[in-house]
Amino acid sequence: MIIVMKPGTPVKESNRLKKELEKQGVSIDMSRGANYCILGVVGDTSGLDPDQIRVNEWVEKVVRVTEPYKCANKVLHSGPDVIEVSGVPVGGKKLTVIAGPCSVETAKQVNQVAAIVKQNGAQMLRGSAFKSRNFPYAFQGLRDNALEMLYEAAKKNHLPLVTEIISVEKIAEFVEHVDLIQVGARSMGNVELLKELGKTNVPILLKRGPSATVEEWLLAAEYIMSRGNEKVILCERGIRTFETYTRNTLDLSAILAVKKLSQLPVLVDPSRATGIWWMVADMTKAAIMAGADGVMLDVHNDPENAWSDGVQSLNPQHFAQLMQELKGFAKLAGREI
Amino acid sequence: MIVVFKPGAPENEKAKIKNMLIKANFQINEIVGQNLTIYGVIGDTSSYDPRTISVNAWVDKVMRVQEPYKLANRLFHPENSIINVKDVQIGGKRLVIMAGPCSVETQTQINTVAKAVKESGAAILRGGAFKPRTSPYSFQGLKEKGLEMLVKAGRKNKLPVVTEIMSADKVEEFAACVDLIQVGARNMQNYELLKALGKTKVPVLLKRGLSATIEEWLMSAEYIMSSGNKNVVLCERGIRTFETYTRNTLDLSAVSAIKKLSHLPIIVDPSHAAGMWWMVEPLAKAAIAAGADGLMIEVHNDPANAWCDGAQSLKPERFATLLEQLRALAPLVGREL
Repeated sequence: MIIVMKPGTPVKESNRLKKELEKQGVSIDMSRGANYCILGVVGDTSGLDPDQIRVNEWVEKVVRVTEPYKCANKVLHSGPDVIEVSGVPVGGKKLTVIAGPCSVETAKQVNQVAAIVKQNGAQMLRGSAFKSRNFPYAFQGLRDNALEMLYEAAKKNHLPLVTEIISVEKIAEFVEHVDLIQVGARSMGNVELLKELGKTNVPILLKRGPSATVEEWLLAAEYIMSRGNEKVILCERGIRTFETYTRNTLDLSAILAVKKLSQLPVLVDPSRATGIWWMVADMTKAAIMAGADGVMLDVHNDPENAWSDGVQSLNPQHFAQLMQELKGFAKLAGREI
Repeated sequence: MIVVFKPGAPENEKAKIKNMLIKANFQINEIVGQNLTIYGVIGDTSSYDPRTISVNAWVDKVMRVQEPYKLANRLFHPENSIINVKDVQIGGKRLVIMAGPCSVETQTQINTVAKAVKESGAAILRGGAFKPRTSPYSFQGLKEKGLEMLVKAGRKNKLPVVTEIMSADKVEEFAACVDLIQVGARNMQNYELLKALGKTKVPVLLKRGLSATIEEWLMSAEYIMSSGNKNVVLCERGIRTFETYTRNTLDLSAVSAIKKLSHLPIIVDPSHAAGMWWMVEPLAKAAIAAGADGLMIEVHNDPANAWCDGAQSLKPERFATLLEQLRALAPLVGREL
């Protein structure tokens, strides 16, 4: 961490700050120029709060040099993580494809879709029971009924299940039945939920918040990991920008940033990022070429009559075709599918 | 275009609007509901300014149905446009790679880079002579001298050249020696420049403005095209978002959107989008997978000592490797290189 003092700061003041910081277990390297005095903070700065230091009226600015997260930091790990989700490795050589309907409608529907995605090579089933919709009058999911349907469809088709949690109360039930618990984009900042999930042992799929920087996203992962659950998989799903043609703006450079900064696997959700089904195939290919460890796709047996987000869902034919096409791309990206 | 009146809009006010629209050669389809009156305006509304109607106090809102651009619209030109830059075709089956240094520094430097990128398979030589830098104290380019060096290097290596123009008074000079005139992101809405370029026949490479929506970008293309020059190539180069890890955020869904909305070719500039050389390769592959017609990539013989943007430049050897990889990728998207 680097602290820049204001021009003309009395020597007494900078020395006082130096002593205060040293008391907190770091050492200070002080350099005095003609106008500025700069304090270089050496040691573990993750416990220091830059805002607390900015309170000092002689401090001009405080700049972090190291990332504020530790568990999610690549520097402190030997290599990329491979996280097992009920026997399916995520982050290894094999690309992970998670597919299923946006929301669960009937037992028959989710069974049908599960069978289709399984047959075409998906390794996990997705499906939402609890929906975080922007519109309070929109379909909010079948909730507990849907969970039952999902458990059954997943079991029947031998697919690990991914579904979203939206409140702390459901954790016990999810731990029992869900293989990969999804924290949705809108919940990324729900730190109470993150902390509680950190006490479990179930892998977590952490989506990026619609306006979260890569650093904020990794700090959310840190919330989970620092409580003891190191099985976190990240998922980029588009960010909020001024462009309104697409639902969100898919940020593929985020994959590269995460791969550089963290050991955690990262998936991409092109369905939610674009919100337009005809963009999904191309954005999936682009994501794989950019280095994603896999994708999460909305697939619906009858998108035109879907209860939610049909417009971003692939129909079974399109999904099958995409899975075929991905083989070539996977090979070029040094992966398997 | 759809006009929605406020509840209780008096008949004489509605009649005023109706007469205005009929005078402008539109037909009106009137829908009278219990509370609201709606006019469906039929005819070519692309050149009609909706604000002439929304200024009326009884008009609640005016919505466009048709895109406000015509010449750039795929609706009126279903086939892909192919733009010829000397003997290089942009928008055809063959991917077009433009490469070269951020700025021209010396005759030897530009010659060296030109030779290297030509050997690797680049089709067009790029190089900045007039540089719009964010800081007025940064190197502003060698200007006329740089232009001369670039053209010389291009001719010598049989590569058409692309370089950026910054003001309308240079159009004549550029038209005489530059094969593809680039309008930079910061000048995307310099309408006087666009109109002046529209009066030439030289192909124009129109970069997307830092905070331009796809529609605004296509409107800028329309400025050039409606002034008489149909030879426009678009270039996505990242947009401004809240994320600061990358210089800009590359928006690859814009490639899909442009392909749907317009017949103009579109290339991607991963160097400016990411601002980091190590992101260029994966983003270049992602761009091709997403359906881009080509790429613009910064290549420098000695990035560590480049006069500008060395951090985002590839060394010639890396560029050669990237092109090898792209050659393998091209057939998967039905292209060649």
